[in-house]
Amino acid sequence: METPIIEMKNIQKHFGSVIALSGVSLSVYPGECHCLLGDNGAGKSTFIKTMSGVHQATSGEIFFEGKPMSFSRPREAITAGIATVYQDLAMIPLMSVTRNFFMGNEPTKKVAGISFFDHKKAADITMAEMKEMGINLRSPDQAVGTLSGGERQTVAIARAVHFGAKVLILDEPTSALGVRQTANVLATIEKVRKQGIGVVFITHNVNHAMVVGDRFTVLNRGKTLGTAKRGEIEADELQNLMAGGQELAKLEIR
Amino acid sequence: MKLSKLFKSTALALTMAVPFAMVTTTAHADGERYVLVSHAPDSDSWWNTVKNGIKLAGKQMDVKVEYRNPPTGDLADMARIIEQATASKPDGIITTLADFDVLSGPIRSAVDQGINVIIMNSGTPEQTREVGALMFVGQPEYDAGFAAGQRAKGDGVKSFVCVNHVISNTVVAERCRGFADALGIDLGKSMLDSGEDPGEIKNRVLAYLAANPKTDAILTLGPTSADPTIAALKENGMAGDIYFGTFDLGTEIVKAIKEDIIKWGIDQQPFLQAYLPVVILTNYDRYGVLPGNNINSGPGFVTKEALGLVEKYAGEFR
Amino acid sequence: MSQTQTAATPDERVKTRSSFHQLLIRPELGGICGVIIVFAFFMLTAMDSGMFSLSGVMNWSVVSSQFIIIAVGACLLMIAGEFDLSVGSMIGFAGMSIALLSVTFGLPVWSAIILTFILCMLIGGLNGWLVIKTGLPSFIVTLALLFILRGLTIFGAITATNKTIVGGVRDVAQGDWLAPIFGGKVFTGAFQWMADQGWIDTFSRGVKKGQPIVEGIPMLMVWALGLVIFGHYLLTKTKFGNWIFAAGGDAQAARYVGVPVNRVKIAMFMFTAFCACVFATAQVMEFGSAGADRGVLKEFEAIISVVIGGALLTGGYGSVIGAALGAIIFGVVQQGLFFAGVESSLFRVFLGVILLLAVILNTYIRRKITGEK
Repeated sequence: METPIIEMKNIQKHFGSVIALSGVSLSVYPGECHCLLGDNGAGKSTFIKTMSGVHQATSGEIFFEGKPMSFSRPREAITAGIATVYQDLAMIPLMSVTRNFFMGNEPTKKVAGISFFDHKKAADITMAEMKEMGINLRSPDQAVGTLSGGERQTVAIARAVHFGAKVLILDEPTSALGVRQTANVLATIEKVRKQGIGVVFITHNVNHAMVVGDRFTVLNRGKTLGTAKRGEIEADELQNLMAGGQELAKLEIR
Repeated sequence: MKLSKLFKSTALALTMAVPFAMVTTTAHADGERYVLVSHAPDSDSWWNTVKNGIKLAGKQMDVKVEYRNPPTGDLADMARIIEQATASKPDGIITTLADFDVLSGPIRSAVDQGINVIIMNSGTPEQTREVGALMFVGQPEYDAGFAAGQRAKGDGVKSFVCVNHVISNTVVAERCRGFADALGIDLGKSMLDSGEDPGEIKNRVLAYLAANPKTDAILTLGPTSADPTIAALKENGMAGDIYFGTFDLGTEIVKAIKEDIIKWGIDQQPFLQAYLPVVILTNYDRYGVLPGNNINSGPGFVTKEALGLVEKYAGEFR
Repeated sequence: MSQTQTAATPDERVKTRSSFHQLLIRPELGGICGVIIVFAFFMLTAMDSGMFSLSGVMNWSVVSSQFIIIAVGACLLMIAGEFDLSVGSMIGFAGMSIALLSVTFGLPVWSAIILTFILCMLIGGLNGWLVIKTGLPSFIVTLALLFILRGLTIFGAITATNKTIVGGVRDVAQGDWLAPIFGGKVFTGAFQWMADQGWIDTFSRGVKKGQPIVEGIPMLMVWALGLVIFGHYLLTKTKFGNWIFAAGGDAQAARYVGVPVNRVKIAMFMFTAFCACVFATAQVMEFGSAGADRGVLKEFEAIISVVIGGALLTGGYGSVIGAALGAIIFGVVQQGLFFAGVESSLFRVFLGVILLLAVILNTYIRRKITGEK
């Protein structure tokens, strides 16, 4: 069995007296789409923020490519290859697609000893990557505000992939989208997965999860209710687990 | 799109309205053209008398006189206005010399370009000579303050507070210095920086008098500080009791003199400061005649006994 | 569910736009239109008033340059998502600092200037640090600084000299090496030559008789041009410029992708302070004195210029060129109304109308760009 890219073992996170996570474990293999399901307030956000270095776990272990690792800030996680795409914070609408795409990772060229933003290179890469993802831009200067919600998510995903993400965490990418846009985003996830990138797909929509998921982990009130493989579990069961977890025993067999 | 419609119609309305507005304002009088530049911010109502003075003089002499001032009272902006007045090639410029460092350059440049300049209101005869202006029409501020101080000393005043609403104008502050020197006391703690807002001035005066109840006299430097001070005295019951003198006149000041709240007002007669330069410049341009000396437009002490005409024209010509 | 939609087919709902339209929807459009309208207007109404004589042009150019200097700083800061209301007070403070250090305390002028720049940029940095640390709107934090700096300026001047206007800077600046960088003039030889050829007006009397009325290009204008070029390149052509847009567009999103938002914002506060300091130094060197009330309301003049120039008050969008055009409109209108013989109190009316028109036009353009409804 190959090593998971990232493995979170028994993660606990306390905020003062509030226990947000009490022992959650999750692993992601290359080319796998791992769906993290849970109702609002289940601890999904806290968990992925721990994974992406925004929060530090109170206890528990994180293994990255088999080695123990702890991230003290997001930048470290990004450098290691853990990219996160947040639902409503993915893109800046007023800025062009190109500027968004390279935000924080601007290509530069030196002119007379001063380094400048290499607009041509950035524009070319952006156009090519967008085409790859199935989005036809009018021009690389087109503002992100003119894109649909699904397209914005896609740009954000493409950006993460381009900058060498090994694990891609998607925070509710489909929750605010219409049917067709959701389909586009799910298609994008599929594409990314095939490139050998591990995807953590956070959602509370079981139907979306069933389309692309290889494994499913359900969170409820800061606890994991176990992980199931594709084909081992039905949509209704997942739905029930998210709602209350009455069928915990049945799942723990795995 | 709704907004684009709005935009188009506003733009259309503006382009149509603007030429009409212009026709009325660009019609020049046939005679000479003069520009009066003051240092006063838009909020200073005292300068209305000056505006009326140039209006009347312009009418009588059949010349065009324009009034300009820096909207916020920033003297650096005033320097630009003088430069700009010079560039518009008027027959003469009448300006105050509120800060010699800032204004002397632009004024001298105007003089050197062949424009006649008369200094009014602020400045000294020496500075007037130095920038090459024809003459100075105004009130020697230190002397006026000193005269007022002597008068107050004769009335038994030993301490005072100077309510200064134009702390940045060094020339006006000379009035307080003259007053203090005549009383023989140190100005330092007697100077109250009141700001220009009537509410603030009133409250600062109240606070000062509460903290220094032994203050004998109040000296205000113009209607801007006098009017709120009157209100403050009426509020704390010191009206008529405390010795109160003021520079310059205005409707409220005249009323307060009548009510025995203000002992005297020192009139520097701004009307003359505006009216005379226009008349002098016009006659100089037309016939080459020029008075041989500077003109002191003040100080004239206005007391309750001599209020008749003053009351009638207060805020307009007085 | 269709997972086969991979081919990049053009969306039939997205209209292709002509390159003319592309040209139209730029942040600077409002500024360009405004400049054309304003100049056409004054050409018609004030052509023979001296406004377009050499000294007239110099007059409104200098005023516009002053606005440009503070507008560039305000523009970059506004794009980075913050305001600085303490610019006007900073101008008064910086001027007074130079005058006090050099005249009253006897430091060489160059060191007074350098110390003042350092001090101002530290205060700018403090502005930024306070905004970041407290999380309060910069509007409030810098409003506090507006009062603090103005009060300190008056207090310092009164305590040290008993006056609120400190003069004599010109005398101590004689022969200083740094002072001419702010208060000097360039191309004086060329102007003298043009005067000798009889192409431009000369003084007709006094000690300067025969010298040109316009002696040269004031350094103020050189600074304005330099700052515009610097600001424009920084914003559009560098990595840091992209961070400025990102910090103002959505600070959180920018942080998530690793943009050092706090550093960017603090740097922009410092740059704004730097611009205010340039303004103040040039003013003090030109007029030879510093007044405690210098620069009152200049922060709004800067912000108005920036807004006329197409920047968005909420940040993330704007252009330095636009801000410069806005400053030119502001300066030309302010000085031009006089040449046109309009009553000076109407200046504010015109300014208000222009501001309103500019904001309406810019909002319209921005919606076109971003496709907002």
